[in-house]
Amino acid sequence: MKETNTNNFDVAEASEEARTGSGSVRPSRTLWGDAWQRLKRNKLAVIAAIWIIFIVIVAVSADLWVPQHFGSPTEIDSASMKDMSRLPPSPEHPFGTDTLGRDVLCRVIYGARISLSVGVLATAISTIIGLIAGALAAYNGGWWDTLIMRTADIFLAFPYTLFVIAMLAVIGPGIQNVFIAIGVLGWPSIARVFRSAILSVKENDYVDAARAMGASDARIIVRHIFPNSVASVVVYATMNIGGAILTESALSFLGMGVVPPNPSWGIMIQDGQTYLATEPWLMIMPGIAILTTVLAFTLLGDGLRDALDVKMKDA
Amino acid sequence: MSGLNVSRRTFVEGGIAASAVAALAACGKKDDSAATSSNAGSEASSGSASKGNVIKYYITNPVAIDPYNAQETQGMQVTQALYDSLTGFDWDAGKVVPKAAESWDVSDDAKVFTFHLVKDAKFHNGDPVDAASFKRGWERICDPTMSTPSVIAYHLNPIKGAEEMQEGKAKEIEGVKVVDDLTLEVTLKEPMAEFPYICTHDALAPVPQAALDDPEGFAVAPIGNGPFKMDGKWVSDQYINLVRFDDYYGTPAKIDGIYFSIQKDPATAFREFEAGNIDFTDIPAGRIQELEGKYGTSEDGYTVNPGKQVLKGEEAGVYWLTVNVNDEVLKDLTLRQAISLAINRQNIVDTVFEGTRLPATCVFPTPIDDDPSNAWEFCKYDKEAAIKLLDEKYPADDKGKRGIKLTLSYNSGGDHEDIMSCVQGDLEAVGIECEQSSMEWAAYLSAMGDGTVQIGRMGWNADFPIMDNFIYPNFLTTSENNYSKYSNKELDEGLVEARKILDEEKRKAAYRELNAMIGKDLPVIPLMYYAHNNVGSERLKNLYYNPQTKADFEKAEFA
Amino acid sequence: MIKYIAKRIVQFIPVFLGVTLILFVLQNVVPGDPIKLIAGEKKLDEQTEISLRAAYHLIETDENGEPVFDENGNTIETPMWKRYIQYITGLLHGDLGRSYQQNGKPVAEILAEKYPYTIKLALVAIVIESIIGIAAGMISAIKRYSAWDIGVTTVTSALVAMPAFWFGMLQQLFWGIFLKNVTGGAFYLPISGAGGPHAEFQDWAYYMLPALTLAAVSTAYTARIMRSQLLEVLNQDYIRTARAKGLSRKAVIFRHALKNALIPVVTYIGMDFGGMLAGAILTETVFNWPGVGFETYRAITQRDWPIVLGSVTVIVVVVMVINLVVDVSYAFLDPRIRFDGSKSE
Repeated sequence: MKETNTNNFDVAEASEEARTGSGSVRPSRTLWGDAWQRLKRNKLAVIAAIWIIFIVIVAVSADLWVPQHFGSPTEIDSASMKDMSRLPPSPEHPFGTDTLGRDVLCRVIYGARISLSVGVLATAISTIIGLIAGALAAYNGGWWDTLIMRTADIFLAFPYTLFVIAMLAVIGPGIQNVFIAIGVLGWPSIARVFRSAILSVKENDYVDAARAMGASDARIIVRHIFPNSVASVVVYATMNIGGAILTESALSFLGMGVVPPNPSWGIMIQDGQTYLATEPWLMIMPGIAILTTVLAFTLLGDGLRDALDVKMKDA
Repeated sequence: MSGLNVSRRTFVEGGIAASAVAALAACGKKDDSAATSSNAGSEASSGSASKGNVIKYYITNPVAIDPYNAQETQGMQVTQALYDSLTGFDWDAGKVVPKAAESWDVSDDAKVFTFHLVKDAKFHNGDPVDAASFKRGWERICDPTMSTPSVIAYHLNPIKGAEEMQEGKAKEIEGVKVVDDLTLEVTLKEPMAEFPYICTHDALAPVPQAALDDPEGFAVAPIGNGPFKMDGKWVSDQYINLVRFDDYYGTPAKIDGIYFSIQKDPATAFREFEAGNIDFTDIPAGRIQELEGKYGTSEDGYTVNPGKQVLKGEEAGVYWLTVNVNDEVLKDLTLRQAISLAINRQNIVDTVFEGTRLPATCVFPTPIDDDPSNAWEFCKYDKEAAIKLLDEKYPADDKGKRGIKLTLSYNSGGDHEDIMSCVQGDLEAVGIECEQSSMEWAAYLSAMGDGTVQIGRMGWNADFPIMDNFIYPNFLTTSENNYSKYSNKELDEGLVEARKILDEEKRKAAYRELNAMIGKDLPVIPLMYYAHNNVGSERLKNLYYNPQTKADFEKAEFA
Repeated sequence: MIKYIAKRIVQFIPVFLGVTLILFVLQNVVPGDPIKLIAGEKKLDEQTEISLRAAYHLIETDENGEPVFDENGNTIETPMWKRYIQYITGLLHGDLGRSYQQNGKPVAEILAEKYPYTIKLALVAIVIESIIGIAAGMISAIKRYSAWDIGVTTVTSALVAMPAFWFGMLQQLFWGIFLKNVTGGAFYLPISGAGGPHAEFQDWAYYMLPALTLAAVSTAYTARIMRSQLLEVLNQDYIRTARAKGLSRKAVIFRHALKNALIPVVTYIGMDFGGMLAGAILTETVFNWPGVGFETYRAITQRDWPIVLGSVTVIVVVVMVINLVVDVSYAFLDPRIRFDGSKSE
């Protein structure tokens, strides 16, 4: 930040330059090493990353310690369920219990598994499709470009939530289908980002130089274009994970996503809606879980963007 | 250049609008005069009722309020306030009573019924209510050329010629004859002693000529012969407003009107009740005890009075799991018996409904028939017996699983998810693996009809309060609601015979036998009987909410 | 200029056809016969079924709408491509088809009932978004690095990371339930519905919470864009020149900087308005708002595809028109853009 203050260059111009990937003034040789150093200095991004790591560890290790303390996230104990129904938060049940007597903290923890896996897998699907489509469009240009980008336009013209819901209405609810629907419908943005990144890299001298030296297309893509344009995709994908988590929670909230009794955060909020006036923690706790997780991915994405000097088109 | 000006102007206007909103914020609440005046312009209202004397009643958006297709509780509640059928049912006396027909005669073979209509009864538009208007109403139900064919035409199937008309083979119902203005003669296909009970159904109402002249207008603003009439039309997803009909032939209502407040689900409706915007609503699962303490419990379980506002009376309805008897896995009777034994019904009603509902033991709810011998052998909770049954045919592996995997389907919303989660828990406890599948109502019904559902759920509420209504529509081989795809020739024949019996006690005995027959085959697994879980506001007095979940607005008052 | 608009419209055609085609295909791969949905659980006799199929263009008909039979006396199923063409032809005549449920009501009529609610809600939301978003962004930029700035950045980040339906429920909890309890019923807001003859509040009060919820994420974006744009403009040479000439900071900001910084903000708000007209499924669901988003969602879950197709068609066209209007006015506002078709991505 201090740099910008002392720097007399125009801000917009500076980032414009950074976007083209030349970055010639910096002493460091590797883009990633450089980015790592800068990321470490961004406090918010570091906190976000720590929070994400924490959630991942808790979610992955849940089977080892959660059941002993808080019981099962799905199973119902016929015998005791009546007395356990909707207890307020207490030391034994820090987030209280739900109508069927299940521990809310336990369900929030297991809900993290669903949210994280949807976030990561759906983004992976979008990214793979998006990378291939973007690369084909940008590198081949012409007819390929028109076809792919028009298709992307069609997908982007849809009201997104409606489209995902319609898709799930066709393929049915369930966690696998949620991955697929969110993943498949998310590719156009990544394709666009990657395409324009490639296009800007493609114009660079070193690509021309490589071609002049007789390098094959594949080699040019893998060795030169990909490493230099992937930064923007990494940033975009990180932010996209948060978006996918939000979408999953919305779908589950509407009853079209993850199937009960699996503990999705969206389902928990839906369940808690009835008790808004009397037992608000039932909807507040899972909401906070979504908020902090999505926020962490957004902040980490912001940090990566600054560190990698990627200029995003949409805020 | 103009573009800039435009955007600036909108911007400024926006600012003004916002500050206006802020200034008004202090006076957002309506007073009574504002409530009527602010809507006088938009409504084609005739003497719009004042706010104080209107019952605000929760329903979800109905499928239809026009009687020809009134099919679910929500729409029928409106239909009932707008229309009077030939007969009514007196729950206290337990018998059918005159309504639009002041009396009727039965032929000795229980095949011909002659109804004598009340004199000088009028429709809301002034047309006379005559025998022809009943014939018109019933034929509309059977008319296959309606834009949406009626789904309740089966109620008229006992009448000679009704099915022919539904199939497009006849232009009118042969068995319905207008003798004179006030005499309607109905001839049945087969004897059916209980036909006047069928005539209590709210959909079997008379309609004026306007119903044929303007069917689309009629669908959103039906003209009836009942104690209340439409004020404006049905505003989809928002409200249906009714006012008292002063030319009603019977005792006029004491309240000025009914405002059906359409809410998307009981949870939303209940919040509105708590905010004082709704007078009568469902209680969300798990809050009954708390509300009993706050509002008091109704003495008879059916009538709301100030300080005795929570209703817990038993309903004429049963909640069961339908089991697809053609399914590869479920066609095994032993498995169905084991499933039925494995489910802890008491636990479900205790947890989800705070013990207000009763665990079911057969297909008849107690207000319909409470004979103790009705209970089925396998319709109870006995986990050990279930395991024993399963062990013989489906030995458990070392993890306790038996290699049976079932899908429990239900329509989303309501308490079905909680109930099904309980069922799943109970079944998994005996080694049967389950997964759930929830669908929206229409899609769910469609899947049930296709026979693609393994185990589903269904509630059956009495169309008319007789035992026949619990068996005929659900278990006859050819019945449309037979989602289990159950077929039992003995039962089919027994039903025809039972309907002929004029003697009430003998007839009941025959239906009890049919119930026992179903209990042996278990095409359904009854879980519980419905009970009211409703609450009224302290403004209400003497609002009777009957076991068929219809409020009787005619006698309701304000405290 | 006209050439540009014409070009945009021509470009829009394949997108429009693509969108409708995808939906049309989705509709046809869904299991379940539409006629079954129309009939509910009733078993239809043959005659009724044939006339319904003809009425919904599922089988071939002659010019009088009577079904055509093949040599075996069976009806001929209309192939999907042909039905698609019929649908598009119908669209050009303003015919959106009829609902499978709702007693066969015309889709256009259903949408005409629901759209006013969505539009009014969107307008209120846009007003909230513009005022709060622009003000917050401006203050944030002018008092950069102040507590204000940090606060705005934190709140906007949180708003963007929240599920809209959850935020809506928090609004209900605070404005409807908590405030009512705290003030003893003296001041609170209605938490669901859209008013009506016997409603407790004036109709406008019902707009407050849904509009606030709908505007939340957009307000956050507006504030962020406003902040970054104003910062960027304030760094420009001409602003520094103006300052050097001795103009006060206030004068510079309001007379010069703001005008230029607002252009992208107004563009964003315009586009966002288009998005809001698509109907906010979640907001409308939480607040029981009878708008087009909730209607479309319900239609999807009930497999009432004519409504889904109809409303998405309308939405896509509306969004396209608004985007075009925004782009054209953007060009008016920003002299750097020319209509020679070389506007960069």
